Amino acid sequence: MPLPTFAPSSDERVIAGVCAGIAQTLAVDPTLVRLVFALLALAGGAGIILYLALWAYSRKMSVWVAAVLALVAGSLLLGALGLSDRSVLGIALIAAGLALAWRRGGSFRPDAPLSYGGVALAAVGAVVLLSGGGTSSAVLAPGAVAGALLLIAGPLVWRLALDRDAERTARIRSDERSDVAARVHDSVLQTLALIQRHANEPRRVASLARRQERELRGWLYADQPIGDESASLVAALSAAAGDVEDLHGVRVEIASAGDCPVDGPVGAVVLAAREAMTNAAKFAGVEEIDVYVEVTDEEVSVFVRDRGSGFDRSAVPADRRGLVESIEGRLERAGGRAAVVTTPGGGTEVELHVKRSAS
Amino acid sequence: MKRRVVLVDDHDLFLAGVRAELGDRVDVVGQAGTVAAAVPLIKELDPDVVLLDVHLPDGSGDAIINQVAPERPGVRFLALSVSDAAEDVIAVIRAGARGYVTKTISGEELAAAIEQVANGDAVFSPRLAGFVLDAFRAGDRVGGDAELDELTPREREVLQLIARGYMYKEIAARLHLSVKTVESHVSNVLRKLQLSTRHELARWATEHRLI
Repeated sequence: MPLPTFAPSSDERVIAGVCAGIAQTLAVDPTLVRLVFALLALAGGAGIILYLALWAYSRKMSVWVAAVLALVAGSLLLGALGLSDRSVLGIALIAAGLALAWRRGGSFRPDAPLSYGGVALAAVGAVVLLSGGGTSSAVLAPGAVAGALLLIAGPLVWRLALDRDAERTARIRSDERSDVAARVHDSVLQTLALIQRHANEPRRVASLARRQERELRGWLYADQPIGDESASLVAALSAAAGDVEDLHGVRVEIASAGDCPVDGPVGAVVLAAREAMTNAAKFAGVEEIDVYVEVTDEEVSVFVRDRGSGFDRSAVPADRRGLVESIEGRLERAGGRAAVVTTPGGGTEVELHVKRSAS
Repeated sequence: MKRRVVLVDDHDLFLAGVRAELGDRVDVVGQAGTVAAAVPLIKELDPDVVLLDVHLPDGSGDAIINQVAPERPGVRFLALSVSDAAEDVIAVIRAGARGYVTKTISGEELAAAIEQVANGDAVFSPRLAGFVLDAFRAGDRVGGDAELDELTPREREVLQLIARGYMYKEIAARLHLSVKTVESHVSNVLRKLQLSTRHELARWATEHRLI
């Protein structure tokens, strides 16, 4: 901890400008400082010695001269307060010892090198003080020692605590930043790179942007981990929609009321919905597909709708098993049901329903 | 007559895009990027519709509605947002916006939505319809005003079709209603959304976010 410094004022000086300099540093009236020194001067001349000490300190003559003078000033002051010579000597020794320890160690950190001389000097001071004299010093002395210790160690301990707090905050912040950086790198930056590479394929660019938007939205607003598709029904459907968008260059709008974990039957719904989205993207000839998810206490429903060409079911070749197997059959096996509503030219809507498992 | 529209959004690129997409379908009479700039501008221009971003640098969209609406009751607001934090969207709707659409909407659809809002109708995106259905889900109502806190089966049906991506006229055809009737169902839902004290609205807004 650096000691506060001040420069004697040459403009407003009366003697050496020490009082004016202190007043400038503390931003108070110089008269006030002079008054304090005048009062201290009455206390056995302590003020005069202190003035000399501060002057020596401010002229950067020698810290030792300043320290010794300050010590003398302090001793005079204590003497003036009515302490016995012995007590004054004890306190002076403790102060000197602590000053030495402080200077050598630089701080009271546990790992800082300690000045054994300083500690020894302080110990001697304590012995002198405690073994000495009358009743008044028996009460005063331990208090003075404790006070001195507190005054010197207090700011250091306080500074130490602040430092540790600041370090911790900085560490948390940097952890957060690297977490965000990792996510942004894994997702957004990769997407931007892909977009640059596919700059002349508008559909591909649009689908990349939409997929990224969906992921980022999930992460920002719904606490969905990026890339974790098994977290919930809506997350799984969003991921499926993203794949369909990537593969077929369509837009898939998902709306939802409620959400639930993906268990067996719900997993079947996700796979069937993916198939329905893929069919719509491949055959309907539209740019946008609407998906609506509704989760109630009893049932999970998913609707996949397009406004496209529609088809005549009786005209679908028997070897095209997508609808029968991947959608209707899959839902039946899961204990649910699927319905396909379509007319040529009137668009298609696939409805998927399963009961929620008892848990 | 073309509708007079004010755009409020702090993203210049987006503003330029919307202006270009809307083309001459509407008359964009002004634009602002902050709450502080938008309030006096809207009061001065008195447009038919204000297209309002939910998030602005110096506040949210509902602050504008709250300051403008008492003096200019004829101005309608349509929220337009990429932010899907439910509490933000709901705050704007409950402050009095006539609808909510996402920024990915096409120019044509946006122009149609502006016309609907100017006529006093409500505009729900599928996403908002999903939210409202969730918030008004049957069975967990506690106290409050039953009329405001419950959706009728018909309103529920209409909202579900909106969530499934149906347009008003498709819904009308499917339910054998007139388009006007469908519109009035949606307006009723909007009114309930704005006036209901149903605590699921608050709960939903804090627990969920629109996806």
